Amino acid sequence: MNRRGWGLGLVLIALTALAGVLALSVGSTGWSGPQAWGADPLAWQIAWEVRAPRSMGAWLAGALLALSGALAQGVFRNPLADPYLLGSSSGAALGVAACLAWLGVGPASADVWVRLGVSGAAFLGSVMAVALTLVLARGVQHTLRLLLAGVVVGVVLGALSALTMLMVPDITRAMQAFMLGTTGFIGWPAVGTMAPVLVVCLLLALGGSRALDAMSLGDAAASSLGVSVTWARWVLVLVLSAATGTAVAQAGLISFVGLVAPHLVRSVVSVTHGALMVLSCLAGGLLLLLADVLARWLIAPQELPVGVLTAVLGGSYLLWRMNRSSGGLT
Amino acid sequence: MKSRWMTRWACLLAALLLASVGGGAHALEVRDDRGVTSRWATPPQRIVTLLPSLTETVCDLGACDRIVGVDRHSNHPASVQKLTKLGGLDDANVELIVSLRPDVVLLGVSARVIDRLEALGLKVVALEPRTQDDVRRVVQKVGAVLGRVAESERLARRIDAEVDAAAAMVPKAARGWRVYYEVDSAPYAAGTSSFIGYTLQRLSQDNVVPASLGPFPRLNPEYVVRADPYLIMVGARSAPGLPHRPGWDRIRAVRDGRICVFTPSQVDVLSRPGPRMGEAARIMLACLQQQVARQTGAGS
Amino acid sequence: MSRAPILHGRIQRVRHGRQTVLSDVDLRIEPACWTAIVGPNGAGKSTLLRCLAGLQSMVGEVSLGGRPIGAWPGRERGRTLAWLGQAEQGADDLRASDVVMLGRLPHQPWLAPPSPADHAAVERAMLATQSWAWRERPMGQLSGGERQRVLLARALAVEADVLLMDEPLSHLDPPHQADWLQIVRELVVAGRTVVSVLHELNVALMADRLVVMQQGRVLHHGPCDDPLCHDAVREVFEQRVRLHQLDGQWVALPVL
Repeated sequence: MNRRGWGLGLVLIALTALAGVLALSVGSTGWSGPQAWGADPLAWQIAWEVRAPRSMGAWLAGALLALSGALAQGVFRNPLADPYLLGSSSGAALGVAACLAWLGVGPASADVWVRLGVSGAAFLGSVMAVALTLVLARGVQHTLRLLLAGVVVGVVLGALSALTMLMVPDITRAMQAFMLGTTGFIGWPAVGTMAPVLVVCLLLALGGSRALDAMSLGDAAASSLGVSVTWARWVLVLVLSAATGTAVAQAGLISFVGLVAPHLVRSVVSVTHGALMVLSCLAGGLLLLLADVLARWLIAPQELPVGVLTAVLGGSYLLWRMNRSSGGLT
Repeated sequence: MKSRWMTRWACLLAALLLASVGGGAHALEVRDDRGVTSRWATPPQRIVTLLPSLTETVCDLGACDRIVGVDRHSNHPASVQKLTKLGGLDDANVELIVSLRPDVVLLGVSARVIDRLEALGLKVVALEPRTQDDVRRVVQKVGAVLGRVAESERLARRIDAEVDAAAAMVPKAARGWRVYYEVDSAPYAAGTSSFIGYTLQRLSQDNVVPASLGPFPRLNPEYVVRADPYLIMVGARSAPGLPHRPGWDRIRAVRDGRICVFTPSQVDVLSRPGPRMGEAARIMLACLQQQVARQTGAGS
Repeated sequence: MSRAPILHGRIQRVRHGRQTVLSDVDLRIEPACWTAIVGPNGAGKSTLLRCLAGLQSMVGEVSLGGRPIGAWPGRERGRTLAWLGQAEQGADDLRASDVVMLGRLPHQPWLAPPSPADHAAVERAMLATQSWAWRERPMGQLSGGERQRVLLARALAVEADVLLMDEPLSHLDPPHQADWLQIVRELVVAGRTVVSVLHELNVALMADRLVVMQQGRVLHHGPCDDPLCHDAVREVFEQRVRLHQLDGQWVALPVL
């Protein structure tokens, strides 16, 4: 990683630390900084039990989504790729819709769904949608076929979840909250699930990052350099699905983070995929953490959907950078 | 000559008088929640309703036989289940509605089909009850549309009376409890200013969500933890994960198991601001009585 | 045949959809020699080169150094045979030096960082193609010629025994075409093998051996200054080129 890359990494870590302090101080009463904790024992407990896991969960979910986005953009050589392009968003939505529709209705079905939970249903739905896409595209050989299959699966499953919402209107509000992203209920168990997944996925992504670099010159060039393109694509698609599924299961369908975090990194430095993975994780985590803080702060004690804020924050920064370098934009 | 001039004037006067009396007796005029006024010469005989609470209101005012089509969620009273189903607020079947040739379409303000229906020449009355004042006003407006003003007054009074009756039976031990009513698991709560909040207030319950936050705010879950309600009311769909939410295990209601879980059909009654509000009050009363019985039964 | 061929392709058929692109090709590439492949558009030159590199699905066999190319482990093959494709797109966000470093991939253990030998090879390659000056710039900011020189450096950095290049001179102006010629000559002297598909007939005629293709078949394969070779060239271009000698070099001019 070159010097600018290290510099960006340090800046992102520093900003994340700042955002972390902010996150612990902002809640349903607006700002209540660390000095309040000493006075009020409840405040300290709330900060630890409610705000800390939520903030850490937001950071982890943002990092997972950004990692997926960077992988998707590398595997498909498409700067508009995002974590959901293989149908995982519609699959997760369908899983959640099915779970909500059956939850609390009838004793037998309730048991399965309660055990699974909304998070489990979202993860399962997401992973199964990607599996369906891989089956329809008959493997990862042709990226175009994979993309088209992903679109088809996304549209069909999306229609099915819309149908479920129409048939069981009680779940509409809860589904809306899921679709716009929600970090409100992330607790320590969720953090405990996401952290190891992030570590494993990041390590695997780093392992495949050289292959991604080679593949950016084309399948033929990569093949001639001894890279097994099919094998690399399989592993990376599975990693990106696992990362996306985990993030979506805990935080809902947060859009834009996965798409924009790698671009934010690339607008500052030119790095190989290995460094891009790490820096994207840092950028994505920071973005979602800031969005979560603002979602809690702006209309406390009410809450804005965090997906709206990621779009506003990420999009504004990207527009600003594009304007600044509009002369040199290729 | 003078007599012919006088006769002419007399005829003109008589005609004018007749016209005004005739027009005044038969013209119905209703201004809906969007500010749009609709007029009918005679009370509408063919009615389409796309909001379950409006369906129930129309039926309660004795005009159930005039309804020709309802939305898919209207299921009370049982007679409307046999009517033509027209979809929901977002995807109403415009063609089917038009083919039923309704004289009026009653629906919520947020329906997407309003423009389309009005463009096709149908008369649309959009009503959206969210607070208790809204409920009274909506009942009166529906009564005006149906030409059943007196019945609508009776209905409004009956709703109040039923809620009062339920309020009178609230056990002493349950008065003044802090309650959190969860409408949906985002979490959306029913605030003091909503019609649900009104009922809770009449039942001497203290809502953790003040009126300043609006009728149905989407809360930061931390708020509920801080507010530490004594009792939680929630529908069966949102209930399963509730005690496991981070930090919620320190809420009194969760620790002591004071959570009233309503079945989906009960949730239907509770969430429709219409003639069944009295029944809704009774459901909430049953919850309170049950919780009091648990407490005294446990001997704590 | 004086020496054993380092690359031997026996290709029966290559199809793209319904169209047969190559048929009945038996090509022996001699080691330590520069072979140029020429022919009109659609003759199948690029496809032939891809087959020799083992990158094309086909009916037939290709052997590299006596072994079937499929039997070579990926990295070993990558170290022995380097490939430069036609108008390679992509990698706009990588810096030029990172792209050239990719050429060292077959030499690097899986997760190892680049070694000093790798850095030295990259520097040598970039200096040879005169692209060292902009090694820190991202590929997306380079002009066509600059980009081509970086991609060339990538192929050179592999330091493979066999170098297969498809249209290596695209976007290159005459001075840099001359540089390329120099590099190829030096490689051949050092004992490496170069096979290039060239549109520029004048440059191709400076090769050691020429493969003349027409409609998916090899019409002629032999030394460049052979009159039979020139006849074949004139034939595939429908007698619309004239070949003249100028200062000891053959040049091809279009017939007006």
